[in-house]
Amino acid sequence: MTRLIPDWEVRITNFGLGYILMCLVVAIAATNTGNNNLYIVLAAMLAAMVVSGIISRRNVRGVFCEIEAIDEVTATRPALLRLRLENRMKSETAQAIFFLHEGLPGPLWIDPLKAGEKREVVIEGLFPRRGVVQRADAGLLSRFPLGLFRKYRRAGLAREIVVYPLPERGPVAEVPPEEVAGGRAHARRRGGGTDVRTLRDFVPGDDPRDLHWKQSARMRRWIVREREAERDRVVVLAIENAMPDPRDPAALGELERRISRCAAQALVLLSRGGEVGFQARGVKVPAHTGRPQRARILDALARLDAIPLDGAPAFPPLRRGDLRRLVT
Amino acid sequence: MKEKVEIPDGLRRAYVLVLAPAAALAPVPLFWTNGASLLALGAYEAALLLLWWRARSRKPVRLSNALLNAIGLSYLFWLGLEVAVVRPGLLRTVAQLLLFTAIAKLASVKHPGEARTALLVVFLVALAAASSSFHASSVLYFAAMAWLGFRTLSRLAVLADFDTAPPDRVLTAVPTGGLALAAIGGAMLVGAPLFYALPRLRAPYAVAPFRIDEALSTTLTADRVDLEAFASAKKSDRVVLRFDVEPGEALDRMLRLREAVFTEYRDGTWLRGLPSSASTARIPAVYGVPRAAPAGSGHAARIAVELNVVARGFLFLPYGSYDLQLESGASSPQPDGVVQVSGGQRAVRYAASVASVPPRGLGRSSMDPRQVPQEVRAYATKLTAGLEEPQAIYDRIRRHFETDFVYTLDPPKAAGDPIVHFLLRSKAGHCEYFASAAAMMLTARGIPARLVTGSYGAETGFFSKALVVRGGNLHAWVEADLGGPAFAVLDPTPPVGIPSNLTQRSLWQRLTNIGREIEFFYDRRILGFDSLDQAQAFETARQTLGGAAEAVLTWKDAVKGLFASRHRSAAVAVLAALLLGILSQRLWKRRVVLPAATRAYLSLRRLAARRVGPISPAVAPADVARLFSAAAPPGRGDAFFIVDAYCASAFGGRPTDAAAERDLALRLRRLKKLA
Repeated sequence: MTRLIPDWEVRITNFGLGYILMCLVVAIAATNTGNNNLYIVLAAMLAAMVVSGIISRRNVRGVFCEIEAIDEVTATRPALLRLRLENRMKSETAQAIFFLHEGLPGPLWIDPLKAGEKREVVIEGLFPRRGVVQRADAGLLSRFPLGLFRKYRRAGLAREIVVYPLPERGPVAEVPPEEVAGGRAHARRRGGGTDVRTLRDFVPGDDPRDLHWKQSARMRRWIVREREAERDRVVVLAIENAMPDPRDPAALGELERRISRCAAQALVLLSRGGEVGFQARGVKVPAHTGRPQRARILDALARLDAIPLDGAPAFPPLRRGDLRRLVT
Repeated sequence: MKEKVEIPDGLRRAYVLVLAPAAALAPVPLFWTNGASLLALGAYEAALLLLWWRARSRKPVRLSNALLNAIGLSYLFWLGLEVAVVRPGLLRTVAQLLLFTAIAKLASVKHPGEARTALLVVFLVALAAASSSFHASSVLYFAAMAWLGFRTLSRLAVLADFDTAPPDRVLTAVPTGGLALAAIGGAMLVGAPLFYALPRLRAPYAVAPFRIDEALSTTLTADRVDLEAFASAKKSDRVVLRFDVEPGEALDRMLRLREAVFTEYRDGTWLRGLPSSASTARIPAVYGVPRAAPAGSGHAARIAVELNVVARGFLFLPYGSYDLQLESGASSPQPDGVVQVSGGQRAVRYAASVASVPPRGLGRSSMDPRQVPQEVRAYATKLTAGLEEPQAIYDRIRRHFETDFVYTLDPPKAAGDPIVHFLLRSKAGHCEYFASAAAMMLTARGIPARLVTGSYGAETGFFSKALVVRGGNLHAWVEADLGGPAFAVLDPTPPVGIPSNLTQRSLWQRLTNIGREIEFFYDRRILGFDSLDQAQAFETARQTLGGAAEAVLTWKDAVKGLFASRHRSAAVAVLAALLLGILSQRLWKRRVVLPAATRAYLSLRRLAARRVGPISPAVAPADVARLFSAAAPPGRGDAFFIVDAYCASAFGGRPTDAAAERDLALRLRRLKKLA
């Protein structure tokens, strides 16, 4: 059962309201009868409210809470988060504390933290949409000690959490090879292609099938062929993020779908070893390959905002020979 | 409408485990207040135990709706029958209904809201129990309920955020013991002033006297006193009253507190009776306590009394009292300086001035000589034959009692008139026997006399300087007209039977009396606390605050005056710095450790003072050694050795070396043992 993260810090509970009502009832009974035992009960109930307020305030405020993503976070997919807790009170044990997070199925019980104790808890969270989380939508909740009030303290973030868009599975068009007219020359790189790049000494890890036997015989040491990578053309994926009304839900929904598709295409192309870049209005990720490029593109997609069409900047210019593919 | 989902079994068991201890304790006072039948209470506790055991054993605790409905209908039928036939009263019926509801709710928790309803019912049970229990042990009940209540509410607060069965450790982890103690301590600190500050619009619902010993109550509150009840009252250890005397030097005059005067005797029972016609007209009649001090009296003292047991009873007042001020209730002046308090059963506080005059009985009423039994008359005539002087007659009677009678609180049972039996056969009795016999014998000899009851002596309180009068301090004596300006105070009881004037109880005895002190405090300051007490407390607080504020204002003005000009400010700063310097220097000097011989000599002075009383600083060291030697001859050598070492060190400038220091310490230990 998902619970809403409160936007308040202190709120009286229904039980608390009932408690106040009972205080009134006991007060009336005590005043009408003059029974001093009822006065004792009333005084104890009122004193308990005061003490409860003080204890619960210290209980929640005394605990430092920070969240940090352990790995990549993708929208609508479980993500591992590290929850750092520290009881900064000198002598009291922080107790009866729950951790709330939008991605958790319910409040997470935190075992009592002794004075000065630090604890790390790994939790599995779920972020519903892509974007950048700069303010934790999570925190500590406690009704301790008497359940009269609920007190909430928002957790801090060790650093911003970038929630990548969930790639939407779909067909990815083949990229024309670089030899096709209009392509631009790549730097010659090692790879698993058919063309020989150079001959060099054998090092452990080289494929024995690449041994150049004749040259090895001539040189009297192992020589291998180093091959060139097979190259496609540089593809720059582009998304139209300008729209007449950036608050239009339909248009925004469409943009999110485009972002998801773009993420999928980028991942596929990069997994094939391709050199991929990304562009949107006002956004440019230069083409590159490999895992760092994957992160750069996903990060750009996570941060991409819709902008109004009027006055929107043009797409960044392409380098000669690069192929821009507008994701729709 | 959103349908409520039934909570899982584990969570239900957790609710039962959390609520059961408080629910079990809540109705406990109903056992002794008779607020519910023992059968109902027993069944409730048994059902609760069963539920708790099932929850602990992880067995289902929820009863089916059909079964619950059947039980509920059966109970309502039985309740109706009981109300119609037995007529147990509203309180018992409501209490029993609450007990049943609590069990039914606990056995049928389906939603968290129902657990809160069960908690509400348990709270109502506790409220009914607390409001009907007026014994001091209620304090223990309140403390236990505070502890359990805090624990229960803390755990319920945790369970409120669980949708499923919580792990076992959750219920045991909250609250931690230290925090619970701190919370209850804090609540007591906040709650105590609140209790006394909450507005009191009505007189206290219940006050203490009804649980005082029957004999003590009878003795202190009725217009009559019989000999057997008086003995039982004297055996009681209950606190009768406590009083403060200002100034403390006047305490000796306050040790004999006069309560009531009796002039009519019938078959072993004394009654107040009417003023006798036999009274002499020479002595003026007096009603109640005089408003002004008697002429020619010395410096007056003030006594403030808190009397615990008064139900139409008499005030205990020392001889020479005047200007009586009763804090609450209506006082009714009686003949012979006696004051009776009416206005219901409650403890009272009062104060009176006490003149420094010889103790004399006010008023002139006395026993009718015709009421003296013939045997007593004959006994008196025979005993005091040949004597005519009243004082001589009394002295003869007193000596006779001292030499031929035994003081006992358990006199042999009398077949006929107890006084006749006492004089002629048993020759054993307590103070009231002696006083009664003396009063009758004096009356038989034509000397107007009467019996007086009250108290003699007191013990120092445990928590304060106030003096406490217990049942053992109750006493009876005689007032007789011996020819003086008023009735003389005569105490014919042999010395062994007169209560000691100031009892210094041992620590163990004091500790065992803590319960009594708590009971007294509970009766007076909690159960009987009313608007008058509150007004007085506020007035005291106001005066204290006013005094403090005045002191602060004066201080501020003085400081402002000092800093009126720059030169003055500079002078004050220099002066302050100088004072600070002197103070620092003195403090530094104080840190200087005294030589070993001087320390030993000062210890010797203290030991000697302990044995022989205060020793003036002018007493020379050798005389200190002599004084100690006189008190403890075996310590003579050590005492003189220490004095010699001290003189050599302090006046001869000879430092004490380590070996001598050890020797001094050894000798001092020996002297301490002797002292």
